[in-house]
Amino acid sequence: MKPFDYADAKIGTREMAILISSIILGVGVLTMPRSIAQITKSSDGWVSILIAGAIAIFFALIASKLASKFPGRTFYEFASSVVTKPIAIVITAAFSAYFIGYGAYETRMIANISKQYLFDQTPVEVIAFVFIAVMAYSVSGTQIALLRLNVLFLPIVLFILLFVLVFSTNLFEVNHLKPFFVTKSFDLIGASKESVFSFLGFEMVLFYAFLMRKPAKAPIASVIGVLIPLVLYLLVYIIAIGVFTNEGTANVQYPTVELAKEVELPGEFFERFESLFFTIWIMTVFNTASISIDVALACMRSILVSVRKPVAISGIIPVVYFIGMTPQTIGEVSLFGEWLSYIGIVLVGVVPTSLLIVSKARGIKGNG
Amino acid sequence: MRAFAPRPDAKPVDPKATMNAEYVRDLLASPTDLVLKELAIGAEGERVVVCCIDGLVDRTLVDERLLRPLMSKAPLDEAVIASPGFLVWLQDSVLPLQGASLANDLNEAVDALLAGDTVLFSDASRQALVVSSQGWKTRSIEEPQTEAIIRGPRDGFTEEIRTNTSLIRKRIRDHNLRMVSKVIGRRARKELVVAYVEGIVNPELLKEVMRRIDTLDMDDFEGSGFVEQWLADHPLSPFPTITSTERPDKVTGALLQGRIALIVEGTPFQLIVPATFTTFFQSPEDYYQNWYITTTLRVLRYLAAFIATFLPALYIALLEYHHGMLPSKLAFSLAGSREGVPFPAVVEALLMEVTLELLREAGIRLPKPIGQTIGIVGGLVIGEAAVAAGIVSPIMVIIVSITAITSFALPAYSFAISLRLLRFFIMLCAAVFGLYGIILAYIAINVHVVNLQSFGVPYTTPIAPTFLQDWKDFLFRAPVMQMSKRPEMMQTVENKRMKERE
Repeated sequence: MKPFDYADAKIGTREMAILISSIILGVGVLTMPRSIAQITKSSDGWVSILIAGAIAIFFALIASKLASKFPGRTFYEFASSVVTKPIAIVITAAFSAYFIGYGAYETRMIANISKQYLFDQTPVEVIAFVFIAVMAYSVSGTQIALLRLNVLFLPIVLFILLFVLVFSTNLFEVNHLKPFFVTKSFDLIGASKESVFSFLGFEMVLFYAFLMRKPAKAPIASVIGVLIPLVLYLLVYIIAIGVFTNEGTANVQYPTVELAKEVELPGEFFERFESLFFTIWIMTVFNTASISIDVALACMRSILVSVRKPVAISGIIPVVYFIGMTPQTIGEVSLFGEWLSYIGIVLVGVVPTSLLIVSKARGIKGNG
Repeated sequence: MRAFAPRPDAKPVDPKATMNAEYVRDLLASPTDLVLKELAIGAEGERVVVCCIDGLVDRTLVDERLLRPLMSKAPLDEAVIASPGFLVWLQDSVLPLQGASLANDLNEAVDALLAGDTVLFSDASRQALVVSSQGWKTRSIEEPQTEAIIRGPRDGFTEEIRTNTSLIRKRIRDHNLRMVSKVIGRRARKELVVAYVEGIVNPELLKEVMRRIDTLDMDDFEGSGFVEQWLADHPLSPFPTITSTERPDKVTGALLQGRIALIVEGTPFQLIVPATFTTFFQSPEDYYQNWYITTTLRVLRYLAAFIATFLPALYIALLEYHHGMLPSKLAFSLAGSREGVPFPAVVEALLMEVTLELLREAGIRLPKPIGQTIGIVGGLVIGEAAVAAGIVSPIMVIIVSITAITSFALPAYSFAISLRLLRFFIMLCAAVFGLYGIILAYIAINVHVVNLQSFGVPYTTPIAPTFLQDWKDFLFRAPVMQMSKRPEMMQTVENKRMKERE
C-alpha cells in the first residue's frame, strides 16, 4: 500500500544525481592518480582528467537523452522498440554480463585493499565472501531501497574524502606541481583514457531513468552526477601530486589511501588514518558493486521474465564470486580491470549512441 | 458513552424484568460481584431490576442518582410505570444522570455491564436502560516514568482511556479533533480510539490505518504491544516502526504534524503512526527549549546512539586487529592495563556487556529500594572487584559504563532496546573481521533500514527520500519562526501551522 505519493518507488532529480556520483566513486579513485602519473609528467594530468570528464559528460548526456525519450520504460523495453527484440536481447545480455564482471572486479579490489590495510592473515577469499554476502542481502530488497542507500552513504563518503584532502594540505608543496605543461599531448590523451575508466558508472542512468519522477530531467541529473566526481578527482590528483610528487604518486599502489596515511589529526587520537578512511570508503565501493549487481539482475530478469528474484540472485551471486576470485595476482586483477574497462567503454559509449541514432533515423517516438 | 461492537448473537430484552435478571445471572454463572437489586415500584408491584458489577461501578453514583430517585416515596406516575415508555421517561425526566442510553439487545446490555455500566430492566419494557457508571479504582495522573523531561508538562497517560482522551482534548480544542472508537479483542472487548485532526491528516494514511485496525482480531491486546506488533509494517525487524509514548504532549504534537494516534485502553503507552528513524531522536522537550540548545542535544543524541551501538565493537576491533591505529602512547597504556587479563578482548567485552544487561534487567525486577543497592553493588563493587581480580581491564569497565550511559541518553526506550541488541551483533562481527566487520555490519543494518516502511512512509525519510524542508526538525532544530510548515513528509491537507514571517 502506498498512501504517500513519494513512497511510490520513484526518485527525484537530486536523487538521480547523487546516485550517479555514488556509482562513479568506487575503487577507481583509489588508484587513479597513479595510473595518470605513470603516463604524464609533473602535474599535467589534470588536463587528462578534464578531458576524460568532458568525454564522460558527453556520453552521459547521450545515455540520459536516450533514456528520457522513453519515460517509465526499462532499458530492455526501449531497446527492443528501437532495434528489434533479438538485438535488444543481445545488448541487454551483454550489459548484464558486463555488470556482473564489474561487480566482481569491485569486490575483488575491495578484498585486495582490505587485505593490505586492515588484515594480516585473513585470506582474500573470505574477505570477498562476506562482502558478497552483504551484497546479496542488499540486492534482495527493493531497487528503490538500494537507491536510498546511496543517498544515505554519499554524504558520509564525501565528508571523509574532503576531510582527508583538507588535512593533507599541510604536506602540500606547490613546487611539486611545477613545471606546467611539459607532457606531450599524445600522453595527455593516453592518460585521459586511464581516467575515463574511473568515470564509468554514469551509464546507470540508462537503467534507472525509468524510476524518475521527471525523466526529462535525466540529462541535467547525469551531468551533475558526473561533475561531482570530476571535481573530486581533480582535487585528489592535484593534492596527491603536491604531496607525493609525480614520481612518488606513480610508484604507490593506492595513492589516495596513502594520502590518508599522511593525515595528521590534531590531538593525535588516531594514527594510521588510512585504515579509517578506507573502511569508510568501503561504503561507496559497496554501493557501486551492489548497484552493478542490481542492474545485472534487472537486465537478466527483463530477458528471462519468468525467473523469480531469489532464484536469479542465488544464480548470479556465486558467479560474481568466482569471477572475482579467478585472477590470482595483483597484476592479473589490474589486467582484468583494464579489459573490463575497455568492454565498458564500448558498451556505454557505442551502444547508447547507436541506439539514439537509430531511434532518430527510424523516427521512433517514445512517449515523452 | 462507550462504543460497543454490534453483536451477532442478539437476544431481545424480555418484557419481564426478573426474567432478564435471571438470564444475566445464568450467563455470568452467578458471580459474587454481580449485584442484582430488585425494586417493587408502583401499586401493581411492577418490578425494576438494577444490575451492576461491584467494584466496576461508582457506588455513590448508583446509590444517589439511580436508586434514591427510584426508591424515594415521591410519587411515580402509576400510568407511566406500567407503560413501555417508562424507561424513556425515567431517562429523560427522573434520573439525574449524564450518560444513559437504551438497549434492545440483552447481550449488548451484558457487555455494558461487564464494562462497568449499570443496567436497569423494568416490567412492560422491551428495552434496557444502560447507565454509564464506571467508577473503578484508578491511578491518578502521574509524571511519565519512562519519558521524564525537565521543562514541560508533567502529566502522563494512565490506564484509563477516558482520562487519556481528555488529556488530549484538553490540549487541542479544535473541533476538527476526531476520536473514533473501536472495540477490539474477542474476549477483552476493550476500546481503542483512533485520534487525528481532520483537515490536517492525509486521508489516504487515515484509510490505511483504519484498514489495518479492522484486521485486528485477537483475544486481548496486552498493553499496546500486540496492537503495535500487529499493525507494524515489519514485525520481524528489530527497529520499531511505531512510536509508543506515555506523554500526551508528544501525542498532540504528533497529531498536529498530521500523524495519527492510537489510544489503547488499559495501558499508559499510546501509539503514534507513522514513525521514521528520526522521530526516535526527538523528545517533546526539544520544542520547549531554545533552538540552539535543542540542536546541540540532538547532535548529542545521534552521537550517543552511535556510541551505544559501536563503542564495544570498536574496542574489540582496535584491540584485536588494528592496534596500529591507536596512538602509540594510548596503545601502550591499553596494553599495560590489559596485562594479566586472561581473555581476548571479545570475551572480555561480551562478559561485561552481558553483566551490564543482567544488572539492568535485575534492576527492573527488584523492589525500588533494593534496586538502588543492586546498582551500587553491581556497578561499583563487581566492576571494581573484576578489575582487581584481573578478569577484565579497567578500560573495559569504562567502555561498558559509557555504553550504558549513552544508551540511556536516547529519548525512545523501544529504539534504545533495538540498539542494545544490535550492539551484540556488531561486537561479534568486529570479533571476526575487525573494522571490516563493523563497516559491513553497518552497511547491512543500513540496507535493512532503507527497506523499512512505516505505514507507507520510508523509514529513512526525510534523509532519503530527501525533504530538505523537514531537515528543520532533524539534526538541527530550526528557530520556531522558521518552522511555519508542517512536515512535508506527512503530506498534510493543510500545511501552514503559523503565520509566516516576511
